[in-house]
Amino acid sequence: MRVGLVANPFSARDIRRVIANAASLQITDRANIVLRVLACLGACGVSEVLAMPERGGIRAHVERGIERARNTGDERFAPVRHLDFPVTGTVEDTRRAVRAMVAEGVSAIVVLGGDGTHRAVAMDCGRIPIACVSTGTNNAFPDHREPTVTGLATGLAVTGQVPPEVAYAANKRLLVSINETEHHPALVDVALVAERVVGARALWRPESLRELYVTFADPSVIGLSAIAGFLDPVGRREPEGVMVDIAPLPADASRPDTSPAVRIDVPIAPGWLRTIGVRSWSRLAPGASRVPRLRAGMIALDGEREVGFGEDDDVRIVLEPDAVRTVDVEACMDYAARNGLFRRDERRALGAGRPAGE
Amino acid sequence: MARNLSMNEAVNEALDQEMARDPAVIVMGEDISGGTGAPGEDDAWGGPLGVTKGLSVKHGDRVMDTPLSESAFIGAAIGAACSGLRPVAELMFVDFMGVCFDEIFNQAAKFRYMFGGKAETPVVIRCMAGAGFRAAAQHSQMLTPIFTHIPGLKVVFPSNAYDAKGLLIQSIRDNDPVIFFEHKNLYDTKTDVPEGLYTIPFAEANVVREGGDATIVTYGQTVQRSLDAASTLAKEGIECDVIDLRTLSPIDMDTVLESVEETGRLVCVDEANPRCSIAADVSATVTQEIFGSLKAGVRMVTAPHTPVPFSPALEDIYIPGADRIASAVRQTVAN
Amino acid sequence: MTDQPFSIDRDTLLDAYRTMKTIREFEERLHVDVARGDIPGFVHLYAGEEAAATAIMLHLGESDRIASTHRGHGHCIAKGVDVKEMMGEIRGKASGACKGKGGSMHIADLSKGMMGANGILGAGAPLACGAALAAKRRGDGGVAISFVGDGASNQGMFLESLNLAAVWNLPVIFVVENNGYAESTAMEWAVACDSYVDRASGFGMPGVTVDGTDFFAVYEAAGEVIRRAREGGGPSLLECKMYRFYGHFEGDAQTYRAEGEVENLRENHDCIKIFRAAVTGAGAVDPADLNAIDAEALALINEAVAHAAAAPMPGPEDLETDVYISYA
Repeated sequence: MRVGLVANPFSARDIRRVIANAASLQITDRANIVLRVLACLGACGVSEVLAMPERGGIRAHVERGIERARNTGDERFAPVRHLDFPVTGTVEDTRRAVRAMVAEGVSAIVVLGGDGTHRAVAMDCGRIPIACVSTGTNNAFPDHREPTVTGLATGLAVTGQVPPEVAYAANKRLLVSINETEHHPALVDVALVAERVVGARALWRPESLRELYVTFADPSVIGLSAIAGFLDPVGRREPEGVMVDIAPLPADASRPDTSPAVRIDVPIAPGWLRTIGVRSWSRLAPGASRVPRLRAGMIALDGEREVGFGEDDDVRIVLEPDAVRTVDVEACMDYAARNGLFRRDERRALGAGRPAGE
Repeated sequence: MARNLSMNEAVNEALDQEMARDPAVIVMGEDISGGTGAPGEDDAWGGPLGVTKGLSVKHGDRVMDTPLSESAFIGAAIGAACSGLRPVAELMFVDFMGVCFDEIFNQAAKFRYMFGGKAETPVVIRCMAGAGFRAAAQHSQMLTPIFTHIPGLKVVFPSNAYDAKGLLIQSIRDNDPVIFFEHKNLYDTKTDVPEGLYTIPFAEANVVREGGDATIVTYGQTVQRSLDAASTLAKEGIECDVIDLRTLSPIDMDTVLESVEETGRLVCVDEANPRCSIAADVSATVTQEIFGSLKAGVRMVTAPHTPVPFSPALEDIYIPGADRIASAVRQTVAN
Repeated sequence: MTDQPFSIDRDTLLDAYRTMKTIREFEERLHVDVARGDIPGFVHLYAGEEAAATAIMLHLGESDRIASTHRGHGHCIAKGVDVKEMMGEIRGKASGACKGKGGSMHIADLSKGMMGANGILGAGAPLACGAALAAKRRGDGGVAISFVGDGASNQGMFLESLNLAAVWNLPVIFVVENNGYAESTAMEWAVACDSYVDRASGFGMPGVTVDGTDFFAVYEAAGEVIRRAREGGGPSLLECKMYRFYGHFEGDAQTYRAEGEVENLRENHDCIKIFRAAVTGAGAVDPADLNAIDAEALALINEAVAHAAAAPMPGPEDLETDVYISYA
């Protein structure tokens, strides 16, 4: 039983650390998370973990950690094999690794990163479920949880101890199409901005924000999606999304059509509360296609400016149901506990080889 | 009006008066105020031997404690010097030059030449030097020749409180980088020191005793030891010129040459290790310039070619003493 | 209202392009002239990295100071050092910025805030702290920038400076120009913690990593860290991930690189091409205006070379001058 592992060493390095005291999980901490997950996967009987190769430091620390453990007779980590291809240090590494993992038939992919990393994995993983571990900045998609538990839940799921209909959950996504030829997915939000530069990628100045589309609107997460969350909460498992028409501030008196109907103060980055002017908002029905009002600008996908579009481009945004599958950690753990999977007195081994705790 | 001050007090007064005179002067170093950020008193130390005590009380944030980080703060002093300030940075012990020497010899010393005469780096680096404090091999060296070897640096080494004040004020006002040595065994020695500001020009050696039979050239702690030797020799009928160089770069060779032309005999006394020392430098210059005036071979009295030992029994014989100096003079006179 | 395609005005975009192009032509010409034997000594070229120096320096005034590296030509040009004087200096001529006494690794012009290229890796960081201290004491909002490569970022002088800057809350920005190679050694191997943001946070200051081939990414992040420093917000670290098109020094056979690496960099990661595509693609600047700047930059470099070639060498009387302001 194989599991894929994508650990992004480059997430959470953007300008939000300067402007907003955002967290930055150190490379050694990320490596320690990988080791904790590997220990759990090993305990559940996962036979091999296929890892994305990278040169940002996580791999080096993980290999060092495994070697040091092995030298002391400790074999608790699931065996790791790094995929063999040249590292570019870009998102292409993630995408290539995921395609290789799919080709090798992994049962799930554990992802360490932020919304951006999860988005990159979701572009190529098809129906293979993702186990999410948040190490990014603004993360709305991966929830915040001790990775040990995510590792255990994933191990229980991929080894069939928790049935798939319990273990995996369906998630929505937004798909932006440009001229029907280019397609760009987003897991949480699509934001349209008036400025035409990628710049520092992370969208942190609200002045140029014009339109926002979200798959879910949770007022208890931060980031752009919180704008919708503060106005009209919609859960991850509910069918609809939300579209928010932004009125730029300061309001332009000469253009009443752009003036705000309401103002809200929203943490669009960690600790970074900005006042947002909103003209209107509405629910997005699954499958229905929206054409933006903004004629030219930049499209930010899950908080990062990525793609430009001009007046001649035909841009459409669609909310897709059941587009990405994830490991439902709470459901897995609940099922496992209620069915006695953690109890040794039932003599049901937690994993194929080694019961947990021995 | 002159008071009887220790060299310690004279250095403190020079810093204090120059800071009061010129707002561009700042003072920085490890524990130079002391107690920064600690729960107890501010100005807790005033430098490891109390030389800068009280300055932070008078001059506030212009007296800056630094982390134990010589590369960073000596470099910062140099960077600040070419950005409009006149920093006096304390390296504490000259022995610590090893961890910040690049900023001194590759940066400060070379800016003016490398940049075609367009840079001014008015920085003073104060440092304690010398043996006799039972401080062992890494806190007792002289290392003066290492600095005089470097073009672009000026090297100053006072032997008494009066000279220390005048030379330090001159150093602060000088627009080239200056390494200002303070011998830790001399801090408590006292002389009359004027209250007001005064300067002593560089490259003006001080003839501290006039004789005529032999010339003793030295600096620092061994000035007094040379004078002691000269007193002993006088009782034997040998009269010595004793020259305190005061600044080692630039160096006042004219005074030395004039004296040796008259006496024909030279003894160079240097607490530094002998190879390529100030003593060797002066000997070589005299030999090259006025060989014909010499009546005897030049003699050097220096520390041995060893690290500074810890045991008092060894350290006491490591430093050139009056006996060894007198003995060397007798040898030159005998020839 | 901000519905313009760029928050940077057209003149500034053109200035930025002119600076990047001038640096590129300067370095490309040196590459040729070194091979022809016209240039004495060591030369380290900045070609490929132009966006970083240009975008950062656009936020600085003449009284702001920078401490540069051995790869300093780009910093000099972007900080306003005269190109003719630079070319003269690199040829060891009396007309040079330093009268021919410094050479490529020591070009400085303090009147422009350029505290010197530096042949000692990491040595500029403490100097920048000093310049920042002077600015802080003046209270005029001045800042200092310390440039360092990924290699020199392992120097004690650099790491000590991060600590000092944080402790003294200095208006200094540490720019790590990470081109992936410390001479011939990979950054990933030589930097144990692998992340400059991690390093900055270890010293209690914010750090940010940007794509150094994207002028706009550097411009935005640098603008923010410099603004903060000016206003008393303290030091920051800015890592620019970038690529050098040539070797560590001219003459480096570069056998440590992967096959086809440089061709790929020039094709797909050229910061000038990327800038050009961004501003013309959005209609902010007419390609014809950029072409005109291309011609001007080339003409400027040709003129600088002719001027330097014709200039006299320093004479024997210059050997012993400028060691001290006064000595004796």
